[in-house]
Amino acid sequence: MLSHDVVIVGSGLAGLRAALEVVGHLDVAVITKVYPSRSHSGAAQGGVAAAMANVDGDSTDAHIYDTVKGADFIGDQDAIEIMCNDAPHVIVDMERLGCPFSRTGENKIAQRAFGGHSFKRSCYSADRTGHALLHTLFEQSMKKGGKLQFYNEYYLMRLIVEENICRGVVAMDMKTGKLEVFHAKSVMFGTGGYGRAYKITSNAYANTGDGISAAYRAGVPLQDMEFVQFHPTGLYQHGLLLSEAARGEGGYILNGNNERFMANYAPSKLELAPRDIVSRSEQTEIIQGRGAGPKKDYVLLDLRHLGKEKILERLPQIYHIAKDFIGVDALEKPVPIQPTAHYSMGGIPADNDCQVVANERGDLVKGFFAAGECSCISVHGANRLGTNSLLEALVFGTRAGKKILEKTTEAKWAPVNESREISAARREIDQILHNKGTESLAAIREELQTTMTDKVGVYRGKDDMEAAHEKIRELQDRFRNVKVDNKKSVFNTNLTEALELGHMLEYSELIVAGAQTRQESRGAHARNDFPDRDDKEWMKHTMAFRTDDGGYELKYRPVRVTRFQPEERKY
Amino acid sequence: MSQVTFRIYRFETGKDASPRYQEYKLALQEGDTLLNCLNTIRDTQDGTLAYRMSCGSAICGSCAMRANGHALLACKTQASSLVKNGVIQLDPLGNFPVIRDLVVDLEPFWASLRKVSPWLQPNLADEPVRERLQTPAQFHLIDDVTTCILCASCWSDCNVLEVDKKFLGPATLAKAHRFIFDTRDAKGQERMERIAEPNGVWDCTHCGECSTRCPTETKPLARIEETREAVMKAGITNSPGARHALGFRESMRWFGALNENYLPIRSMGFFNIPGILGVMPVGIRMMLKRKAPPILPHWIDKVGEVRRIFKRFHELRKNNGGTGAKTDGDD
Amino acid sequence: MALQYAFYTGCVAKGAGRELLTSTNLVCKKLGIELFEMEDAACCGAGVGGEDNVMVSDTINARTFALAEERGMDIMNICVTCQGVHKKAQARLAKEPEYMARVNEVLKSETGRVYKGQAKIRHFAKILIEDYGLDKLKAQVVKPLGELKAAAFYGCYSVRPHEYSDFKNPDDPDEMERILEAIGAKTVSYPGRLKCCGFPIIMMNKQNSLTMSGSVIRSAKESGADCLVTQCPLCHLNMDAYQPEIDDTLRMPVVHIQQLIGLALGYTAEQLGMNTHIVSASGALASI
Repeated sequence: MLSHDVVIVGSGLAGLRAALEVVGHLDVAVITKVYPSRSHSGAAQGGVAAAMANVDGDSTDAHIYDTVKGADFIGDQDAIEIMCNDAPHVIVDMERLGCPFSRTGENKIAQRAFGGHSFKRSCYSADRTGHALLHTLFEQSMKKGGKLQFYNEYYLMRLIVEENICRGVVAMDMKTGKLEVFHAKSVMFGTGGYGRAYKITSNAYANTGDGISAAYRAGVPLQDMEFVQFHPTGLYQHGLLLSEAARGEGGYILNGNNERFMANYAPSKLELAPRDIVSRSEQTEIIQGRGAGPKKDYVLLDLRHLGKEKILERLPQIYHIAKDFIGVDALEKPVPIQPTAHYSMGGIPADNDCQVVANERGDLVKGFFAAGECSCISVHGANRLGTNSLLEALVFGTRAGKKILEKTTEAKWAPVNESREISAARREIDQILHNKGTESLAAIREELQTTMTDKVGVYRGKDDMEAAHEKIRELQDRFRNVKVDNKKSVFNTNLTEALELGHMLEYSELIVAGAQTRQESRGAHARNDFPDRDDKEWMKHTMAFRTDDGGYELKYRPVRVTRFQPEERKY
Repeated sequence: MSQVTFRIYRFETGKDASPRYQEYKLALQEGDTLLNCLNTIRDTQDGTLAYRMSCGSAICGSCAMRANGHALLACKTQASSLVKNGVIQLDPLGNFPVIRDLVVDLEPFWASLRKVSPWLQPNLADEPVRERLQTPAQFHLIDDVTTCILCASCWSDCNVLEVDKKFLGPATLAKAHRFIFDTRDAKGQERMERIAEPNGVWDCTHCGECSTRCPTETKPLARIEETREAVMKAGITNSPGARHALGFRESMRWFGALNENYLPIRSMGFFNIPGILGVMPVGIRMMLKRKAPPILPHWIDKVGEVRRIFKRFHELRKNNGGTGAKTDGDD
Repeated sequence: MALQYAFYTGCVAKGAGRELLTSTNLVCKKLGIELFEMEDAACCGAGVGGEDNVMVSDTINARTFALAEERGMDIMNICVTCQGVHKKAQARLAKEPEYMARVNEVLKSETGRVYKGQAKIRHFAKILIEDYGLDKLKAQVVKPLGELKAAAFYGCYSVRPHEYSDFKNPDDPDEMERILEAIGAKTVSYPGRLKCCGFPIIMMNKQNSLTMSGSVIRSAKESGADCLVTQCPLCHLNMDAYQPEIDDTLRMPVVHIQQLIGLALGYTAEQLGMNTHIVSASGALASI
């Protein structure tokens, strides 16, 4: 059995940032199923929000209000205040750690416009901001040498929680197939989101939400799972992200008739309206027959008027993605786009110090922390503003680290039954490898992802959701008979993909259930049958609890409102 | 929709004595990336095939592998561009031990990276309250090199690493460049001294594989060249590589051409007797074949023009207050 | 009108590889390609001479380009290193007009010359294939190379970085093989074909350098080649002159591509300087 004071699962921005707070004071280990530099935080492109006011008269209050409004008033306002207040500090902190930022003419960190933000607030490093931040933290973690222990390519199997006390995790060394119990006083998850449940998604293959459902299986509730953000500029058919920076820098979105249709939906902000609104507008254009292309099933991102220099200097990644992946030269032609599943607003509920919440009353799970996309704190409510995700990961990663340091120093070791934990993990693997079934892993995954994109996507209909729910149950049944070709131990990606699919099937049901139950439209959750927001009934967070028979139960928790009462959301 | 044969390297460490190739047939769909094809093969033909992937958008570097002998990212490469006589051959990255199939053990890569202290070491004495300032031009100096995604494609195809695993390698040298050229870093001199040592920046043959395989704007060879220039401007010239460069330039300046008798001795250092003896056998062999360069050096026509150009730059450098040590000989 | 080129010999063809110059001149003479040797052009710096200040070597090379422009001819290179360095310098100058202006300012004031950005820089193989034509070359062959199995060795800068390569498919070029086949030789494909010969670090890390050239030679040998064929005198030096130090038993002849063309055109091995190689080529030539 391995033992560390603190075990952090996930090596993205939140996980690494927390680790850096703790290292040197406590024995800390980071477990990741990839390598730290390959975490999905690195894919974030456009920027990180902070009211630095480097280029205009921005203020923290404006940032707070924009975020509350962007969240469609279901974000917890005390958490949002913390995030926006801390924002300039974490940016300066990252700059000092060496993050390369693009610069203004006055040599300060450059800032640009982003959807839903009323000022130029996005600090950026060309269009690879997440990459620049992630690599900076990776560099800093290398500086710590052996004091910060990494377990790279370890796959999380189980979270160990007993009597509401978190005691560690079980993980599998992918290189050998060996199962290990990691005994810990404190465990933090920074395991990322669940966008891979969707067919058209900007998310990495790794973003299968394992951490979220591992917590759920250990008895932790999940919050607001129905809020899934669809990014308006996904590359057609691939779902790959074309950064919102494209719109921030002045890109147009056109329908099949070459019209800037956003004028009809958000007359003042146009393309720079928040993501949920732009995605719905695109989907409406497509549904009403004004899409582009032979099947009229996409719209167009037009950058041409920005000119070669601006495109290549400020948006090089977008240019290369369009060129390499679908062969479109953005200097000469508009790029085909469609909404793509992008960000999980829901996740593991946690308080403002990232301590995981055990129930609707707000009691805590001792020794368990969560930050970043896997968490639901909730600063994004029903819709996240672009550039607030990197910010959230940095602010709450830092706060998690500080809290972990405080709590772990005074914590005692809670015992773990190693053989029982290993056997439980082994049983899960054996069930996958040695059932006698013939169900195709790829087919189940494909059916799940297609169902989620088609029926629980940008717009959600009653019948569609019912059909999706039924389908997911059918797939869960079929999964018990999944056939995995590879029975070996060494780097068995066939096995890890099956384990991931098990997670996806588990929480996808909660996305649908939450969406079915929430009879209103709010932020990214848009119902055909309930097109309006209903603050009287639904100003509350959904909480899904796992029942003993493997089913779920939904409960609700109030939203924390401090300064801003709900109002109509117009752009 | 042409039918393509994927010829894929198969190996499992600890089990197989030697690798083998397995063939899979697949009908290419328009727009298929190499990674799409691998996923289709694994999903529909052989679940035991192992390879890494994650972001699918060329920013994480996981899916680096070799296609037809050259390293690339599977996610950003159109499969159709790789077909050669109906076949695409896939191998794991080179210069690494293989774990299984297309999955290699990357530890040597990370270990090398750590050797150049790859983190910012600013001058802590003058920390401003807000962000440190940097001009857009200063950011531009590290703009390209900070696009590195650590995919190890450069490492895979580096010709020097193939014969010497002690070489720091292209990605590591690029990482060193990233801090040497970052105006916020205070340890540039130390960093340059470190990589001017054996196995560092002077051991690169500029074969160009790294920059050719690099899927980003990092282009390690270009960074290595910039670093060598910086190392010499900083006066770190006590290495065969630096002496070679200086000797070459002295020869260019005086003769307009290369003096092949003078250069080897200059490179070794005039008082480096073992080094000079080391280059003698080849000289003797060449003399015996009447192949040795003429004893009397050759001057190009109008060599004065070349000397004037050198002189001009020498003066420019002096007037600039000298960017680093004097490297311009004795005129 | 006869093909005419500003002939940039490079330093090695004037020094340790004089047989390259001799054979190039003979071949071009026979084919009716007129060469005007650039006696006034300076060393390209081999990417080394400018290592402490790239602008110096870019200026020296801009002067070379200006000299070709004055002659109104394309530059012909016979050294892959010179070719690569020229191409890179040209690209750097083309990319930033402001930089080019600074270089030209020095050039103008010190030499009275100006580089206009027009000079074309081309390697011998490219000229032979594109300007002269392989059918025409074939027609000139009087002594086809019959049974000779030749292993073409490209040299790094002829294929990398891709953007500076003269060849159509730099990851899998066939230009040298097409020339060799035109003169009747057989070619072998072998893993070392596009590798580095190791020459650039012969002074810095001789062991690595010779391990690299050794592995190329062995790779060619294992593929059944009678000889290695180079298009760069530096590759030639590292694989021929150093071969006894690598492994005295290898005995793999290394010849310049111009020498084989010369043989096919009817010159003797001696006229082409093939007797000056460290590893004797006479065994390999016996198979012709």
